[in-house]
Amino acid sequence: MAIMEVVKLTKRFGGLAAVNNVSFDVHEGEILSVIGPNGAGKSTLFKLISSFLPATSGKVVFRGEDITSQKPHVVARKGVIRTFQETTIFRDMTVLDNVVVAHHLHSKASLIGFFLGTRVARDDEAGFRRSAEEIIDFLGIGQMRDEAAKNLPHGHLRALGMAMGMAAAPKILLLDEPFAGMNAEETESALGMVRGIRGRGITVLLVEHDMPAVMKVSDRIVVLNFGEMIAEGAPSEIQENEAVIEAYLGREDEELGI
Amino acid sequence: MTRNRKITLAAVAIALYLIGVPWLCAGRNYYLGVVTTASGLAVICAGVWLIFYIGRINIGQGAFALIGGYAAAIAVTKWGLSFWIAMPFAGLASMLVGMLIGLPLLRLKGVYFSMITLSLTETARLAAQSLKAVTNGPNGILNIPLPGELSIFGVTVIPDFATLNKHRALFYLGAVLLVVTYAVIHRVVNSRLGWLFRSLQQNEDLASSFGVNVPMLRVIAFAICTFFAGVGGAFFVVMQQSIYPATFAVQDSTYFLLYCFIGGLGFVFGPLVGTFILYMGFEVLQGFKEYQPLLYALLMIGVMLWLPNGLLSIRLPKFLPPKTPSRPASGGDI
Amino acid sequence: MGQVLMNGIYSGVQYSLIALGLTLIFSLMNVMNFAHGQLYVLGGFVTYYVYGIVGLPFAVALFAAAATLAAVGVLFDVLLFRRVLARSARDESTMLLASGSALLLDSLFIIFFGEKHRGVPPVAGGVLRIGQGIFLPYGRALIIALSVILIAAFILFMTYTRWGRGLRAMAQDRDAARLMGVNVARYSMLGWAIAALLAGLAGAMLVSVSGVNSGLGTWISIKAFIMVMIGGAGAIPGAIIGGLVLGMLESLGAHFMSGSQYLAIFVALIVFLAIRPRGLLGRQ
Repeated sequence: MAIMEVVKLTKRFGGLAAVNNVSFDVHEGEILSVIGPNGAGKSTLFKLISSFLPATSGKVVFRGEDITSQKPHVVARKGVIRTFQETTIFRDMTVLDNVVVAHHLHSKASLIGFFLGTRVARDDEAGFRRSAEEIIDFLGIGQMRDEAAKNLPHGHLRALGMAMGMAAAPKILLLDEPFAGMNAEETESALGMVRGIRGRGITVLLVEHDMPAVMKVSDRIVVLNFGEMIAEGAPSEIQENEAVIEAYLGREDEELGI
Repeated sequence: MTRNRKITLAAVAIALYLIGVPWLCAGRNYYLGVVTTASGLAVICAGVWLIFYIGRINIGQGAFALIGGYAAAIAVTKWGLSFWIAMPFAGLASMLVGMLIGLPLLRLKGVYFSMITLSLTETARLAAQSLKAVTNGPNGILNIPLPGELSIFGVTVIPDFATLNKHRALFYLGAVLLVVTYAVIHRVVNSRLGWLFRSLQQNEDLASSFGVNVPMLRVIAFAICTFFAGVGGAFFVVMQQSIYPATFAVQDSTYFLLYCFIGGLGFVFGPLVGTFILYMGFEVLQGFKEYQPLLYALLMIGVMLWLPNGLLSIRLPKFLPPKTPSRPASGGDI
Repeated sequence: MGQVLMNGIYSGVQYSLIALGLTLIFSLMNVMNFAHGQLYVLGGFVTYYVYGIVGLPFAVALFAAAATLAAVGVLFDVLLFRRVLARSARDESTMLLASGSALLLDSLFIIFFGEKHRGVPPVAGGVLRIGQGIFLPYGRALIIALSVILIAAFILFMTYTRWGRGLRAMAQDRDAARLMGVNVARYSMLGWAIAALLAGLAGAMLVSVSGVNSGLGTWISIKAFIMVMIGGAGAIPGAIIGGLVLGMLESLGAHFMSGSQYLAIFVALIVFLAIRPRGLLGRQ
């Protein structure tokens, strides 16, 4: 069943179409990856789906509801949560606090409640803390809980990003290049995290550069080139797809993971 | 430090202030007045600090104080309201203007907000000058009475200021406002609201990615900020018993920025400390009074040059981290 | 009504000059120069001394003002903004620095020039009559002509000279410009010099008609912000249009609602920004 439908999504910058007429479905509970050579429009597509960029035309439908070009926080409230490519975190807060804050969506207390420290707000707080601890243990960064986030090594920062994404209890989690800049070992552990997240019933859509990793983790893959979708299918199909091989032509073969 | 010890410490500090200052200034009303003025300024300044805290700069706090001042003056002299009603009314009036401006503008890049707030200071002054029917124009509103008696169910809560030592009564009024203001700000910052504000300061995109309504939170912070300005303005009006279009000018708005900066931007009591040090410092250096703007300007530029991330970068390397994405590589298309 | 429009054009072209400098600095360095109005006032004071006190020809005074302000612009860049920008990329830092600079110049003006309003003898006597009942004193006509020439010169400079192209490249994308071999440090100095010079010349010209005083700076800065917000921050045509629009609004306001026109302009600006947050020509 499709949890999200991307329908003829288009984004133009000036005359240039960064994403052109792209349509695909995301099935509930799967890991779907969007790949493509540099400049293929992956990042733009990602921002369109998470509503950090308004679309020129087309739409994104999430569980039957059109969420195109709504405000990011509104989309987040519906269960579409994104992570960031950069190591985007609250640098000065601890690991645990970062994840606690990211629970904001589940807050039952009003802003006044926060201020007065009502029972509801205190219960929220305690619940968030328990949940945050559980999430960081799950992603294997529990031992870093009291570390200031800015002091984390690269791989752990990415895990923190995912932890913050999970804190918002997404229905679908959008991961922006979760394996970028990682060594083989870090990638392996990040792959485990992505599978683990899916194991908890969260649909994962990721945009990625690292072909071998994508081949290993994805259920299905969507390939973009020059803003257009040129292929869609299981990893094995993508590896043999001529249009895909052509798009990557002139590039090193290992980049394709074949 | 445990919670109880903190409360004890705060109580001792407040008691020392309430008893110590009038005792030290006994018979020297001028100095008591200086402290009273500083406390009023610190109330207004608290709002400026809160806006710094969400990563914006409000260069128009003087305007909001002026709006509050006029609102209180008009409520007391023209409508015959008690000062005790006029003061919160002044806070609300100022807050209303703040929200009308904040709702459209706090969605935009920070620089727009700063430009508008600066413009507002001058606009407010001109409006006060030209709307003669309401504000009495350049002549100002004079002879504003001191706060009268406040009684609830016939029990006098606050006696008529005319029956008290005026200087002391005003000092205590300022002290109460000061304590309440900073208690509120302290509570805001240490509650989850404060976490959300901090998340705006550090990374607005990240905050919105997990569902924080960023523009609305900015407006809430600005509403709190302008409320304090309005209440502070009302306090000045009753202290000076008069208000003119120039009672708060652009220069004052700039000074508030400096007060916050000197005290420390990551520290709730920073604006309080900054205001008291700088304002009272200049009372001590009476002879330099005419060079006050010059010295303030040099201080401000010096701080920016040598401590570009604020005085706080000495205390904690915490506020205003060099955030690369905040400055786009290109400023515009020309 | 014709007279009202004429007054609007007269203010508008001068305002455009001021807004051009402000928007230039903003597009080059992402710095909103809160001290821009003070540069204008400085230009006025230089002219007051050279033309009004020493008695040299007005043209000499204009050159003196231009040279002084270009130098001050370079100093602003080298001594202040460059250093702060190198260490902190936050908008907040440069805004605070600019506010401090504005306060510094204001207080220096008060110390050196006092609070009195200073005027100079008119540059040209006589009045031009255009059609029915529209009067244009020669002094004002001269200012309109000079302003239009300066705006045209600025546009030609930015479009056709190597320096102008370098500045435009830098405004588009600072890093790309650097990679293309643009000496970014030297070009920011040039940008500051031109921006300050334009503000100074506007001040120099106006002093011959309306005079100058120490307290004018902030007010001029505020007008410049309003123009930039109307036109769209960072867009050169926006600055020119913003200047003309504000000039016209002021003139109309003074005619129809004398006294409270600025309150009306301010409220209109807020409403306008709510509808068009990027101004008339601002980039998305």
